[in-house]
Amino acid sequence: MSDQEKKQQEHEKDLAEFECGEPGRDEEAHVQRQIEIAKGPMETLHLKPEIAHVHDGVTPQLKVGVYICRCGGNISDVVDVEKVAETARLIPGVCVAKVHTFVCSDPGQHLISDDILQENLDRVVVASCSPFLHEQTFRGAVSRGGMNPYLYEHVNIREQASWAHKHDPAGATTKAIRMVAAAVGKLRLAQPLDKIKLPNHRRALVIGGGIAGLKAAADLAGRGIKVLLVEIADQLGGHLNERGRIYPSEHDASEFVSALVTQVRASSNIEILLSSKVSAVSGFIGNFKIVIESLRSDGSTSKMDETVGAIIMATGYRPYIPQNGEFLYKAEPCVLTLPEFIQHMQSLSGDAKQLTYCGQAIRNIGFLHCVGSRQIDGIHQPSPNGALNTYCSRTCCTTILQQALAVRKRFPHTGVFDFNQDIRTYGRGEENYYTQASRQGVVFFRYNGDEPPRVEAATGSRGKDGVLRIIVKDALTWGEELEIGVDMLVLGTGMIPGQITGLIEAMKLAVGEDGFLQEVHPKLRPVELAVNGILVAGTAQAPMNVHETLAAAGAAAAKAAAMFATEEVELNPYVAEVDLSRCSGEARCVTQCDYEGALKMVQVEVDGVMVDRAEVNAGLCVGCGACVAVCPHRAIDLNGWRIDQFEAMIEGLAAEIPHPECSSELVSIQ
Amino acid sequence: MNMQIDSEYRPDAVVVGGGIAGLQSALDLADQGLKVLIVERQPSIGGHMIALSKVYPTLDCASCITTPKMSAAAHHENITILTNTEVKAIKSADGMHRVELLQKPTYVNFDKCIGCRQCEYACDSEYPDPFERGLGTVRAIAVPFTNAIPQKAILDAEHCGTCGTCARVCPTDAIEYDQQPRSLTIRTDAVIVASGFLLNDIHLKPQYNAHRNKNIIDSLTLERLLAPHGPYGRVLRPSDGKIPTSVAFVQCAGSRDESIGVPYCSRVCCMYAIKQAMLLSGSLPLADITIYYMDIRAFGKGYEQFYQNAKAMGINFARGKVARIEPVSSGDLSLHVESTEDALNPLQEHRHDLVVLAQGMIPGWNPTVDTPVTCASDGFVETPMLTAPTITNAPGIFVAGAAAGPKDIVDTIAEAGAAAMQVSQYLFQKRSPVLVG
Repeated sequence: MSDQEKKQQEHEKDLAEFECGEPGRDEEAHVQRQIEIAKGPMETLHLKPEIAHVHDGVTPQLKVGVYICRCGGNISDVVDVEKVAETARLIPGVCVAKVHTFVCSDPGQHLISDDILQENLDRVVVASCSPFLHEQTFRGAVSRGGMNPYLYEHVNIREQASWAHKHDPAGATTKAIRMVAAAVGKLRLAQPLDKIKLPNHRRALVIGGGIAGLKAAADLAGRGIKVLLVEIADQLGGHLNERGRIYPSEHDASEFVSALVTQVRASSNIEILLSSKVSAVSGFIGNFKIVIESLRSDGSTSKMDETVGAIIMATGYRPYIPQNGEFLYKAEPCVLTLPEFIQHMQSLSGDAKQLTYCGQAIRNIGFLHCVGSRQIDGIHQPSPNGALNTYCSRTCCTTILQQALAVRKRFPHTGVFDFNQDIRTYGRGEENYYTQASRQGVVFFRYNGDEPPRVEAATGSRGKDGVLRIIVKDALTWGEELEIGVDMLVLGTGMIPGQITGLIEAMKLAVGEDGFLQEVHPKLRPVELAVNGILVAGTAQAPMNVHETLAAAGAAAAKAAAMFATEEVELNPYVAEVDLSRCSGEARCVTQCDYEGALKMVQVEVDGVMVDRAEVNAGLCVGCGACVAVCPHRAIDLNGWRIDQFEAMIEGLAAEIPHPECSSELVSIQ
Repeated sequence: MNMQIDSEYRPDAVVVGGGIAGLQSALDLADQGLKVLIVERQPSIGGHMIALSKVYPTLDCASCITTPKMSAAAHHENITILTNTEVKAIKSADGMHRVELLQKPTYVNFDKCIGCRQCEYACDSEYPDPFERGLGTVRAIAVPFTNAIPQKAILDAEHCGTCGTCARVCPTDAIEYDQQPRSLTIRTDAVIVASGFLLNDIHLKPQYNAHRNKNIIDSLTLERLLAPHGPYGRVLRPSDGKIPTSVAFVQCAGSRDESIGVPYCSRVCCMYAIKQAMLLSGSLPLADITIYYMDIRAFGKGYEQFYQNAKAMGINFARGKVARIEPVSSGDLSLHVESTEDALNPLQEHRHDLVVLAQGMIPGWNPTVDTPVTCASDGFVETPMLTAPTITNAPGIFVAGAAAGPKDIVDTIAEAGAAAMQVSQYLFQKRSPVLVG
């Protein structure tokens, strides 16, 4: 091949690389860009001597592909991605640097796997969004190209560059370039790694025997998977047993619960432990060791050890209990919570003609929404534990209207007044309750969240219309202050997080600001908690109605069933590894390690003498690196995140970007 | 990507619809080792979600969440995808379903097409881009959109000028002008209906006068305007390209309204309007933004806090249903509203230069004609079993997502997982009844 031909080839390659952006949308600029490239060879990166030495160790066969994502514009509106690509191409070892609108899309991923095959790439960097979103995606893409997935580095130039430095495009671009350089540096020293494979115990632990736990257990058992169901109470069913009828079908709640309980009890795949709690959890996905404490009928407790592969948290919610005096709760006997009122309605005989309570006829009844929900700082009293429930409890509006309608239908002589901020009958068949309630003469008042109604005891014997006066600034009558007399007030109390502090600590789970269990991502991994192999179902995650709870439980069961689809579980290989030739057996690492069983001292023979040396249990090691920091001999290091790799990254980050005029040039491009 | 099937192909389950509900249920089945066929009538999988800008309450870009699921489905060894394909009928007998499909001609041989888009660049005919809700244009032969799956060109026969250029420039001879619709029948044990929703027509309420002014748009159109890779790359109003200075959101424009036959709540409009208002105030910091509403239904996890943040950002929430919208001078619009806040002046008129109507969700497909699936009076698939809300009236046929009533993405994804679990149990029990306890 002549020099001329070689040049021509290289030239065509450059052109080709620029074509993988988003042609067609902005063809003119695209063509202009191609002409610029065609004008001549690229400027070379003048590395300062101390920077250049970073790349000295680059072996000739190291071929890094760098892919820069526009993220539709999320990145490229701020970061000059073409500049990042041009500069990346000058980093020794980088042989391909391309820009794409969505690298995570199928064509974007193909670009990578095709390049690995055609260009013989042996390292890949994608500069895009958070690794949390797409690290797995791109590891998959490089695997499809036949490359070891751990020779891949993810650089987050969206959250850390374009979003963080929105008003400094030049700075954001420079930062993106540095981050790419750091990743290339890290990859230069990367070794291929393999996932750790361990046996998978195909049995699930479901904690909680309410409808979420029952449904998850029934679904798994129906699929042939063994389940251990642990319930702290002495019976199954949870709160729903006491909730009257289920909207919108108006099925009897306790009949519904007993149908589920029967299904669960009938399954030979489900072992049920009542009056029991999980007191300790260790291990990891596929291999959780748990301790269960059960209360015996004689009052003593028994302990047992079990092994399960997955854990489903179906620990449910607690009903909000108003604080003493909140809307006269407990101060006046006729102020009830919504669950209390439902129980009361159920206790009335079927042929009762008049709504009564404690022997008194209820002439008028009020329902007050959002008690203990949608709380506002400065307006509402926090709970004794300091929590302010700023969230909506999702189920109270429809339940209130269901009850209001039931009162109007059963006791047409009782006046019904509803005090709300918004009516949230959002679900299928729910709006109908609102329509029907309006048609049946329920009277609605609307207050603003920061001006909730006041409740006072009426003066005189039983008042004119009722024993309580509700004073509301009604937004439907242009803020007029109205006074309504009622004989009974029902507080629309919502849901608060379950009391599961012990479990949360034992499993190191994350909770959100609202105090409920926090999923990894509401759309990407909605039923998974931050610890691999631990799932969440139902109202342990957030307030939900029956339908939504069943769906969440089914989704959690599906995820568990998928985990059990293989004989072995696969874990990321980012675990500590001991260099026996350097280990002196001082055990500082073992003292430092926070994860029981992850590191221990074992006897090994060195030169005919038995000595102590550290040993890692790859299943239990979480790769935190605490051991690495304390070893005086650098005898322990973290696979995939070795100290020399950190050093290479720092050098990459600190490398000065060659031309001082570069940054001003970047500004002009913007 | 598996896109070819032969007469021997017999999936464990067929998923009708390749939107987020269908993709998630297919993935949850395939991850359990079951073979799934996804049938999608559009040229790409991804459904409505892939066309959204960002999604509430996390404000993740929609593409960033959708593309990995699309890609995971496309690369899954247990998943086969047929796009441009409609389900014509489902015939069920003896626990088996015969799913009758019609593959529409694309006039491009997908085996040969490499997605190079040479045809698209060379094509002379353009028409309003359906992906951009008609705001931009697309060539008569084109890859549907940037992150479409599959990345194959499709020729729109209606807009083709029959000049033959595409066939001349195609490097792989993939253009086939003589393609015909193709019928095929798939035998399967289970079906998941994940046929999603459509927005109801923006012209449903004549008093809103959407036909008289281009600056009255529906919410999906605003999604494209807000998307960073949208038709204009920024928010401009359609009539004259002016940057809007006063934007109105009219809630319940297609829901909670018996006069248009949609008495139910569409469940997502409050939250997407709040989200769009937030995104607008980011891209148009000087614009006034008002949401006209009856109730704000911010019921999900993190939603109420999202709503409160929007209020704190200065977005104006005005309670009251908009009675009438009248076009006035220079493309602007006058909204006639009954205010519940001003006692002295309750009947008000407000002028805006862009109006977004929150159209409601209606079923995307009516399965009652040629399948055993039944629908309730609201038109969505009927789910009779309280303990298993993804089971339909037809044995072996299940439902997920907006096909069973309006639903947002979070709730759809959960329900899709539940449907997959119901199917996997159904198949397990059908095939190994002895093992069932």
